[in-house]
Amino acid sequence: MIKEIQSRSIFEIDLYIVAVTIALLVTSVLFVFSSGVTATGQIVSNEYVRQIVWGATGLVLMLTVTFVHYRLFYRLAPMVFGVMILFLIITPVLGRSVYGARRWLGIAQFGAQPSEFAKVALILFLARFYSDRWKQAGSLKTFIAGLSVTMVPILLVLAQPDLGTAMVYFPIFLMIAFFGGARPSHLAYISLFVVTLVFFTALPFWAEHLSRRAVPFVGVLTEQFAMQLLLAGLGAAIVMAGLGLFFTRRPLFGWLIYGFSIPTLSIPMAYAARLVLRDYQIMRLVVFLNPYVDPQGAGWNIIQSITAVGSGGPFGKGFLQGTQSHYQYLPAQSTDFIFSILAEEWGFVGVLFVFLLFGILFARSLYIMMLARDRFAVLVVSGVVAMFLFHFLVNVGMTIGMMPITGLPLLLLSFGGSSIWTAMIGLGLVMSVYQHRYQY
Amino acid sequence: MSVSKEQLVDGRRLYAIASVLVLLLVVYGWRFFQMQVVEGYIYQDRAQETAQRSEPVFAQRGQIFDRNYDAPLASNRNSFTITVVPADLPRGAHEEIITRVALLFDREPGPVLDRYRSTARGRYQPVEIISNVSVENLTLLAENIREFPGVSWYSKPERVYPFGEVTSNVVGYVGDITTQELQILFNEGYTATAILGKNGIEQRYDQLLRGSDGRRFRLFDAQGRRIGEDERIIPPTQGSNLVLTIDRSLQELAQEALGPRIGSVVVMKPHSGEVLALVTYPRFDPNRFIGPGGNREVQRLSRDVRSPFLNRPVQSAAAPASTFKIVMSTAVLEENAFPLDEEIDCTGQFPFGNRVFNDWLEFGHGPVNLAQALAQSCNIFYYTMGTSRLSLDQIIDYSYRLGLGSTTGIDISGEVAGLVPSPAWKEQNRNSRWVGGDTVNLSIGQGYLQVTPLQMAVMMSTLVNDGIAKRPYILSEVRNPITGNIESRVQPEMVRDAELRPETLRNIRSHMREVITDGTAEVVITTRAVESAGKTGTGQVGIQERYHSWFVAYAPHGEDVPVEEKVVVVVMVDAANEWEWWAPKAANIILHGYFQGLDFENTVMELRRGPRPLWYM
Repeated sequence: MIKEIQSRSIFEIDLYIVAVTIALLVTSVLFVFSSGVTATGQIVSNEYVRQIVWGATGLVLMLTVTFVHYRLFYRLAPMVFGVMILFLIITPVLGRSVYGARRWLGIAQFGAQPSEFAKVALILFLARFYSDRWKQAGSLKTFIAGLSVTMVPILLVLAQPDLGTAMVYFPIFLMIAFFGGARPSHLAYISLFVVTLVFFTALPFWAEHLSRRAVPFVGVLTEQFAMQLLLAGLGAAIVMAGLGLFFTRRPLFGWLIYGFSIPTLSIPMAYAARLVLRDYQIMRLVVFLNPYVDPQGAGWNIIQSITAVGSGGPFGKGFLQGTQSHYQYLPAQSTDFIFSILAEEWGFVGVLFVFLLFGILFARSLYIMMLARDRFAVLVVSGVVAMFLFHFLVNVGMTIGMMPITGLPLLLLSFGGSSIWTAMIGLGLVMSVYQHRYQY
Repeated sequence: MSVSKEQLVDGRRLYAIASVLVLLLVVYGWRFFQMQVVEGYIYQDRAQETAQRSEPVFAQRGQIFDRNYDAPLASNRNSFTITVVPADLPRGAHEEIITRVALLFDREPGPVLDRYRSTARGRYQPVEIISNVSVENLTLLAENIREFPGVSWYSKPERVYPFGEVTSNVVGYVGDITTQELQILFNEGYTATAILGKNGIEQRYDQLLRGSDGRRFRLFDAQGRRIGEDERIIPPTQGSNLVLTIDRSLQELAQEALGPRIGSVVVMKPHSGEVLALVTYPRFDPNRFIGPGGNREVQRLSRDVRSPFLNRPVQSAAAPASTFKIVMSTAVLEENAFPLDEEIDCTGQFPFGNRVFNDWLEFGHGPVNLAQALAQSCNIFYYTMGTSRLSLDQIIDYSYRLGLGSTTGIDISGEVAGLVPSPAWKEQNRNSRWVGGDTVNLSIGQGYLQVTPLQMAVMMSTLVNDGIAKRPYILSEVRNPITGNIESRVQPEMVRDAELRPETLRNIRSHMREVITDGTAEVVITTRAVESAGKTGTGQVGIQERYHSWFVAYAPHGEDVPVEEKVVVVVMVDAANEWEWWAPKAANIILHGYFQGLDFENTVMELRRGPRPLWYM
């Protein structure tokens, strides 16, 4: 009986995911090609050839992972994660310096970005972590332990420095913890902390570069004495709430501590972050808020991308007919802004087409989550969903000015071997869960 | 074991995530619908007009002055850089046009084409192909511009060094940033058109000197035609001016005193660490790297076996020879290893192990005490000290305490640390055991010991400045380029306390004075302008009749002279030159000229007329 199911399952590969993946890869090659063509019709880049090679090898990789039972990855997870951490440690030291950052490890002309593959390693490790501890999944201890594990790759990748990629690990953690049984209040706490951290970091820059009038209270964030005073006040409030909790045992005081401690932690962290951030990173934040502050400098990319997208119209200018892209007004066209070219040349119809493909991918993944046989399988799929979701959210949002420019690729569409392979290994894991749904 | 699915996936959480996904697709989809379908026409107009091109407006690089702050050692001159816009070059004729431009300006087409190929990025970004074109030459192009479609130019300041090779080893020179340098410096704000300091102060303080470039923006339509005359300019910020500790006239005097001999001179103030002169020979003239033939000049100098790019006072280490006896004497005095009034009978021979070490004076100096041993530079005396009165560890310890074996921390790149050898070092690097003969050689500053002239200057400064070593430095002040106000001033910095007793310091200084009054240097130090003290050194290099010539000195001597007024002079003439015993002779001229405030010609003239005529010139 079991044997019969096994032999049958080989032909029951998830064709939705395979079809969607191939459709996205073909689209990707088309627009990587388009990005390498100039206004006069000259082909100035052979990136599309490399993209074909990576896509084809990626398919083999994806199918290989599909037919491996995911329990093997369960067993290997700690080792895979350990090895990836090791690679991340040596990358800033031995890596190749490209545009001021060391993100690449490689021999001769072959190189890879370990920070990409580390996403899959983190997914496997966290999935195992939460499936092993499902009985204590809601405890604060488990939550802090899981968060600490996630901070390791985040800090290592920040050291490269690569802010964009470092951000991806966080939603992967949130999603796996969410389905692993973490308490929503814990997840909300850390999310609120990150949001307020970004807000308090950006606020003084916004006040300095954008606001036409003085913004009250900003001094609290930039002047040390004022900040210390505010923190002392918040600290006193926490102590009083603590006393209240101790004597009355009313949950209201617990929530007061919960609320007060968030700014108490994020304000000094934001102060430190402002000292660490480089000028170009700050300008990216500022121009995200208003690109017309610096239309020829840092805001240029956003304006050009928005113009490309908008001028595409409902049906697009036609393949290879885009003007913004072929006059090469867009930087990093084949990676960061590939979706702008697509939106310009294929118009709103093309956008809907890609949205449909990603929609199928997400829907199918959630469906597979429901079919999964054990907790590890559920959590692996949720992690892969988080990875795709976050890349989609940031990259597509960036092309229409709804997200700051971070250099995150759009998985399966953007040019780049490491990111394509990472995406396809992730989908391979999802398909492996589907493939082995009847096996124990 | 079967687990029900409700337990595996929390249904409410799944719905929550599904809702987030749907919401995301809907919000983004709505935004695209707004932009592309509803407002598409606005962006279509904008796509026609936003073709804006920009070019850099270059910042004036900060000037570099010597300590007198009167005439710049490095300055700027207006000049032009020829650029091409790849999109505007006629198709298929890129190389032909660039070759013709190169020939027009008397440049070799090969390197110009290479530069174009390696830096061309966007089709509409101007690419620099030829730098440093003067106004006169530019007219050649401007008058025939119709023959060169796609070729243009912009103003870009050109670096000039009015004193040429006088300060080239200190000031350094600048050049266009290379692709590799850009990869590393991109996040520091450098761009592909940046000028970068390649050497010396220009390199070390590039961040202070470079200022920040501005930009000029002009509108073009989607077909590449200029629209209107409007342009918007972000003005550049000038780089800061730097004032050095170097004294230009002393630098020139020291250079002429050294003459055309491979070697170096260091003059510094022991009290503060200010470097007054830092001379090397052979030198290069950075002005010749600019303009036609500049690359050839760099390549020619790089191949020169005498290494004109080597900044010898900080980058070339050699055995200090007898000047090391100062360190030995200091150790003997501080450790009370040998009474001041006791003598050793120098017979000219020192049997040690199965070898006999000789003195430089064949039949010996006779009985000598510590002071006489230094004055006469008696090897036999120091062999005895090194092998029986001091331990090897003590010799090594005093070498380190006086600054040998480690870099001095001077603010110029490429400094070497030299070497104080030890048994452990020899085991590791020479794969053989330390033998007694190694200690004998070390006692007179020969063997494996390697020091730079600057290290010797720091050693001497430490003894003059009562055991306190100051970091030698060259940058003295940073000044605002417009107002000339001082923005920051470098403070002298103590790096080491040799912890020597005042008695030791007094004795070693008086012993060094005897070298000049009754010792080896007596015949050459003819100046009466100042009382000096020091030590000669003659380094064997294994070639007959060829020696390194060292002289390490300070002046004025005298315990009542304030230390602020004292200077240390170190001269090293390499064994590659004919043996002339030139180091003390050069020092004589430098000391006389510096304390009399004279240039080289007048110094030599005055010394010739002096009470003891200058016999060697």
